[in-house]
Amino acid sequence: MESLFLQQVLNGIIVGSVYCLVAIGLTMIFGVMRIANFAHGDFSMLGAYFAIYFVVLISGWVGWISALMVAAVGVGVIGFFVERFLFRPLLTRWTDIDIIMLSIGLFIFLENGAQLVFGTAPKMIVDPLDTKGINLIFFSTSMIRLLCFLFSVTTIFLLQMFLTKTKMGVAIRATSQNRNAALLMGINISFIYSITFVVGSALAGLGGVLYGTIFAVFPMMGAMPTLKAFAITILGGMGNIRGAIFGGFILGVAETLGGNYISMQYKNAIGFIIIILVLLIIPQGLFGGKQKK
Amino acid sequence: MNRKLFKLSLIILGILFILALPFIIQDRYFQHLLVLSGIFIILTSSWNLLAGYSGLLNLGHAAFYGIGGYSSALLALKLGLSPWIGLPLGGIISSIFGIFLGIPSFRLSGPYLAITTIGFSEILRLVSMNWVDLTRGSLGLYGIPPLTSLKLPKGILIKFVSEQNFYYVVIIFASLTLFIIRRLVYSEFGISLRSMREDEMGSESIGIDTSRYKLTVFMISAFFAGFAGALYAHYVRLISPEMLSLSETFTVLTMVMVGGLGTLYGPVVGAVVLTFLSEGLRFLEDIVKLNIRFVIYGALLMTTILFMRNGIVGLFQKKTQGTKG
Repeated sequence: MESLFLQQVLNGIIVGSVYCLVAIGLTMIFGVMRIANFAHGDFSMLGAYFAIYFVVLISGWVGWISALMVAAVGVGVIGFFVERFLFRPLLTRWTDIDIIMLSIGLFIFLENGAQLVFGTAPKMIVDPLDTKGINLIFFSTSMIRLLCFLFSVTTIFLLQMFLTKTKMGVAIRATSQNRNAALLMGINISFIYSITFVVGSALAGLGGVLYGTIFAVFPMMGAMPTLKAFAITILGGMGNIRGAIFGGFILGVAETLGGNYISMQYKNAIGFIIIILVLLIIPQGLFGGKQKK
Repeated sequence: MNRKLFKLSLIILGILFILALPFIIQDRYFQHLLVLSGIFIILTSSWNLLAGYSGLLNLGHAAFYGIGGYSSALLALKLGLSPWIGLPLGGIISSIFGIFLGIPSFRLSGPYLAITTIGFSEILRLVSMNWVDLTRGSLGLYGIPPLTSLKLPKGILIKFVSEQNFYYVVIIFASLTLFIIRRLVYSEFGISLRSMREDEMGSESIGIDTSRYKLTVFMISAFFAGFAGALYAHYVRLISPEMLSLSETFTVLTMVMVGGLGTLYGPVVGAVVLTFLSEGLRFLEDIVKLNIRFVIYGALLMTTILFMRNGIVGLFQKKTQGTKG
């Protein structure tokens, strides 16, 4: 019984690490540009498809790693154009409703466009390690899941370094905290917007590949990561990256435990229940300093 | 004076045209689309009341629609209640659920409210799928009774099984909805809603109790959405949890945006245009053998927001009115 519990917690942490990647991208974009992007999970979907078509070209885990890179770059490029031509014109209008509706339009477009291009059947990203299982003392998992976990933790760590140690990272955080002050400090806001959106969508793309490796890849898969990422960002405080990291792990664990001990059918509802409770009780999120409305 | 007369005759002609439409085109499929448009008009108008006039972005509207449909259908199936009573009851039950979204909206706005409302509708969709004893799960409810026939004196019996007769029921309710919403929007209530949309804090400072208004508008909107759902249930007589899905909300949202957000007739235009466009595209799909319908929906929604913010109705209005929302 206890070992089952531990197993579930660790499974939750692995899944949670993938949620983190997607959620960090979402929360970065929201923090810097105030864009609540409902199409964020569809960037993950696109990333996963990039990987599916690339991973067969090079065999072994080298192929898997390079597929991740290809997905990140590919989705980043798409993100650049989406930001420049779709969201940028709306930023001057500055209405929440327009931005949300536009992202919903993008969501409908990408989800159904993907069905046209890739077909509706679910696909799997080829497992480079042939689903080799590993057993720790009280915990067994497949090698690929562990690899997913290590990869996302490394990415999160590198991202944190980028945001705290480099000049551009500091500029991004400054813009997120106070746009006008950042502008007065000589930060090129327009450039920061592009960078943030590109990095944010690339993270979604990476998350998508990992998500697709653990679960499956299909055109409609984007909605779930989006909603989960929103749950996580709300839990951690919107625009708060550290909050998104903790939130991701919390949701991952809560879902696997809830799915196991409460009800499998309502597993996906756990995120929503968290959202509603958090918003009603602590609207600024667990790690949010001041309340943003 | 002459102009007024001209306008009046145009309106009368329009009404006559709408009334005669099922006789002009006898095709049952066409009549079916007319009925669907009518139901969508009620649904889109109710959503517009929230998003367009009050600035409350509700992305869980399909939940209200579904609750209305399920309530009325279950009341008829399990308790044998007449659908004519079920229609308003569906609305009332849905409006009670409106309270659950109205209360969070006191403190939340923009993306926060949007995501809460999505959560609300997704939870209810999961309930409708998993509460198999009551809702038969994803199989849905079937065999829902149609609206009971009206007995007129002299032995005339009006049945509501045919599209043609149902069309008139829908037209009456859609007009009634539009009439009520029009009265609301131009009343002090509506003005307060719009002032709340433009500047919430400012409205509070001039004595508008925004919380009370938000709760009320959520309940009214939910009532109409539930009513539309109940109509749909007794018309199609087969409902499933799909009715509460996000894509249902997104369809409504696209209709309102394309028609014109925050305008009285925008939702009407959007509902009719997109219902027929959607069917037109279905024919096109048969030719090109691709599911292009929703891709076009998405593109249409994005184009509307980027290039014609006030929708089709906005194109015919004076430029001076500015953007809303």
